[in-house]
Amino acid sequence: MRKELAALSFSEKVKILEKLRDRSLAFAETRRNRKEMDVARSVSNSKK
Amino acid sequence: MKETLEIINQMQADGVIGEYAIGGAVGAMLYLEPAATLDVDVFVALPASRSGLLSLAPIYEYLKARGCAEKEEHIVIGGWPVQFISPKDELEREAVAEAETADLEGTQTRIMPAEHLVAIALRTGRSKDYARIVQFLEQKTVDREKLESLIRKHGLTSKWDQFKCRYLEGSRG
Repeated sequence: MRKELAALSFSEKVKILEKLRDRSLAFAETRRNRKEMDVARSVSNSKK
Repeated sequence: MKETLEIINQMQADGVIGEYAIGGAVGAMLYLEPAATLDVDVFVALPASRSGLLSLAPIYEYLKARGCAEKEEHIVIGGWPVQFISPKDELEREAVAEAETADLEGTQTRIMPAEHLVAIALRTGRSKDYARIVQFLEQKTVDREKLESLIRKHGLTSKWDQFKCRYLEGSRG
């Protein structure tokens, strides 16, 4: 599999790289949003 | 990425930068399978300011005038954070001079030779650099004679011996 990926053209590899990047950025964004929601929830709970 | 490379090529055509070569993970991708990275390392001889100091100012002025934004040590070009790095020694200067040409959907770019990427990774010496060297060697994408001669030429023999001892034990390394 790795050899097959390595044998792809530079253009095809860049397309994969861009998908990997989009996925990791989306993952980071989700984690950030979840963290913010957790903080907001704990603040709201502490006020109760 | 295509737009990023087109803008960098235009910078070169406009005389803002000279000959350049892409290194790092994006450079390694010409020879290996794609690995996640969030930025592009562009090695380029930087123009010296009047005081003799190397300066990124002309590059940043050019790019900012075209709507690119600074982000920490990067400047975002065509959606990709790009770091412009001045070659700090003969090894990196040679890597730029001997760069390979790669094609991205009709846009040409220059990428450091595989052997130079390995030698630079060896010198940098972080875990991720060593992992990349192992990939290069396992996938036989480097000319071992050329690599070993480069290692001797640039005084990296002891690092190479340590690397072989640690990571290639039991292989033909």
